[in-house]
Amino acid sequence: MAQLSSVTPNAERWRKKTLIGLVFCAPLILIFLVLVIYPMLYEIYLGLDRTIYASIFSDPIFIQTLWNTVLFVGLAVNVKMFLALTLSGLFNMDHWLVRILAGVFLLPWAIPSLPGILAFRWMLNGQWGIVNKILTDIGLEGYPWLVRRHTAIGAAIVYHIWKYLPFWTLIFVAARRAIPRDLYEASDIDGAQPLQKFRFITFPMLKSLFMICCLLSMVFTLGDFVIIKIMTGGAPGDSSHVLATLAYRYTFQMGRIDWGVGTFVTALPVTLLFIFILIKKVK
Amino acid sequence: MKRIFTARWLGLACVLSLVVVFLGPDLLSLTQAAEKPKLTVWWNKGYYKEEDEGFKKVAEDFARDNNVTMDLTFTIQDDLGPKIISALIARRVPDVAFCFFTDWQIAPKFAWEGKLSDVTDVINDLKPRYIESHLKTAWLYNNVEKKWSYYSIPIEAQALGSHYWKDLVQEAGFDPDPKKIPMTWNEHWAFWKKVQDNLRKKDPVKYGKVFGIGMTSSSRATDTFYNFEQYLLAFRGEILSPDGKVIAHEPKNRDAIIKTLAFFTSIYKEGYVPPDALTWTDADNNVNFNNKTVVMTPNPSISIPGAHFFSNKDNYYNKIGSILQPTSPVDGKGYPYLVSVKPIIIPKDAKEQVLARKFVRYILGTKNFTNYVTASNGRWFPSFKDVAAAPFFHDPKDPHVPVATEQHLKRETRAFYYSYHPAYSQVYTENVWGKAMSRVITENWSNEKAADEAIGRIQTIFASWK
Repeated sequence: MAQLSSVTPNAERWRKKTLIGLVFCAPLILIFLVLVIYPMLYEIYLGLDRTIYASIFSDPIFIQTLWNTVLFVGLAVNVKMFLALTLSGLFNMDHWLVRILAGVFLLPWAIPSLPGILAFRWMLNGQWGIVNKILTDIGLEGYPWLVRRHTAIGAAIVYHIWKYLPFWTLIFVAARRAIPRDLYEASDIDGAQPLQKFRFITFPMLKSLFMICCLLSMVFTLGDFVIIKIMTGGAPGDSSHVLATLAYRYTFQMGRIDWGVGTFVTALPVTLLFIFILIKKVK
Repeated sequence: MKRIFTARWLGLACVLSLVVVFLGPDLLSLTQAAEKPKLTVWWNKGYYKEEDEGFKKVAEDFARDNNVTMDLTFTIQDDLGPKIISALIARRVPDVAFCFFTDWQIAPKFAWEGKLSDVTDVINDLKPRYIESHLKTAWLYNNVEKKWSYYSIPIEAQALGSHYWKDLVQEAGFDPDPKKIPMTWNEHWAFWKKVQDNLRKKDPVKYGKVFGIGMTSSSRATDTFYNFEQYLLAFRGEILSPDGKVIAHEPKNRDAIIKTLAFFTSIYKEGYVPPDALTWTDADNNVNFNNKTVVMTPNPSISIPGAHFFSNKDNYYNKIGSILQPTSPVDGKGYPYLVSVKPIIIPKDAKEQVLARKFVRYILGTKNFTNYVTASNGRWFPSFKDVAAAPFFHDPKDPHVPVATEQHLKRETRAFYYSYHPAYSQVYTENVWGKAMSRVITENWSNEKAADEAIGRIQTIFASWK
């Protein structure tokens, strides 16, 4: 009985604390349940209908769209991250010219997406774009950049890299600055060359962060709708869609919410895998 | 004790605030509803300020006369289409909706799903005033109740015409008078090619990037399937039988589809259509025409000259010409004009069913609707004979509007295939013809292979609509 009475006040205190905590968290929990858990469960429920997949896979553009998504995400993210890692070395240097260059380099990130994409579209216009104008001025033939599938997707990839490279470069610059200087000083004493410093000090120290950034960027890019929608709109002949734009087309233009869900469910295993690895890495 | 008391009050406050956040708007609307009924109207934003202002005034008059709170919003069609679709799926709908995409993207599919209100009562009132071919498009199938009925209220329509720059035609050495433009199939298209050739020969620097034909060939534009299906009729091809069965695969029709596709892809490949036409949206042939980078463009409304009416009267009256379509390449005769008829819908879940009907009847009254439709400056042709009789549509001094009037009132007109079977609305949304053109032009498919893929896709779509 004495033992019980010594436990009860603790349990009571814990219960009260938890209750107050729960009350404070209630709005957030409710919002999370309503806006994240419920839609996700509903999506999975809708996605359980196997006839959806027969329908969307019978659409001649679906497989092509899957490939486009792999191309878009795979190339855009990897090239961007490689460049960001490389350029972070340059921007880590302490020189007035580098500081000015860094300021200019950050501009694309600050430009809103829509005017940026529209500017790219105009530059690549087959008839009137500045890219073809320059090409013809130097005696080369112009090319209908957005009228061919591969160059249309290529344009979207280039825009993605142009737009988001500064952000990830900045992250890597910050990470590089966090590496203890004495490691580099010790390597200088040992006579290490720049590439050796990168291989044995910089990259091992950045490896985990690089991996996390790549995964994060992949998740963001997989859901990127705006670039393809504005840059190509799926043209030519719906051959440049990615899953995000195709799902929009199914859901909001054709009123086939089940097909839209099916499109995202197709990508869900990959997205969940990325998120799973990400969480493991962060831990 | 005090802490428990505080925790309880905190909990109560949180619960109350959540109730206010989630139920507040509904409670508010309930109190408003007690005062006067509210009519929610989603309307397509017009192309001219006068259209919106005119409609807003009519809506305000209705609200005042009927003691109604009017919740009227104007939205452009590219956003309004998805908005209406989302609303119908979520069953949180306006009382009245009108969008330029409703006829092919929304009405057939959602009538099929039983989500639109049966508006036969409204149609019966308006029936004597209707142009018959326009009314036919509202007769749709409800697969839930297994019946055909009127599920939309047609109000205005468009048909395919062609516009050209008279000064460029003259510059190319031809008479720009609309009566002098060759109107037999082969001669007609050869004429525009010749205009381009002559212009480029005359001044390669100035006209080097001017194209003879502004033919939209993109899967992004509704103009593409409009043009394709109109010219398919010229080649005497049919996709569906009048009872809604797919007959595109029958040899005569397959042949016509291949020939139509070959017509589109050959003028593109020969360099008489701007290369970017393969990525154009509906606005881009207008833009290219206005920039004088194309001499002529087929367009399913007279929006192109209409825009010049307000900005440049000289262009409207003297420099731009409007003509009908050339005769059939098969037999040299005419063929029906496809009319895309824009309807109002009243969703089945709309709260104010009676009021919505009253509002629709009010705005479609002869005087109100004449004011509205003429404010669009002829872009839309009214679906009502009494409105179409207004002098505006028959002004002999106007070089454009009477051309559209002739199409709708004097020529044979016909509804699109979605009126035969709602599954065809998906064929339009997928834009199978734009895709087929792209296959031939960018992926070097033969016209036969691309046509067969499109026909196969139509059959697959129809098989899924059961």
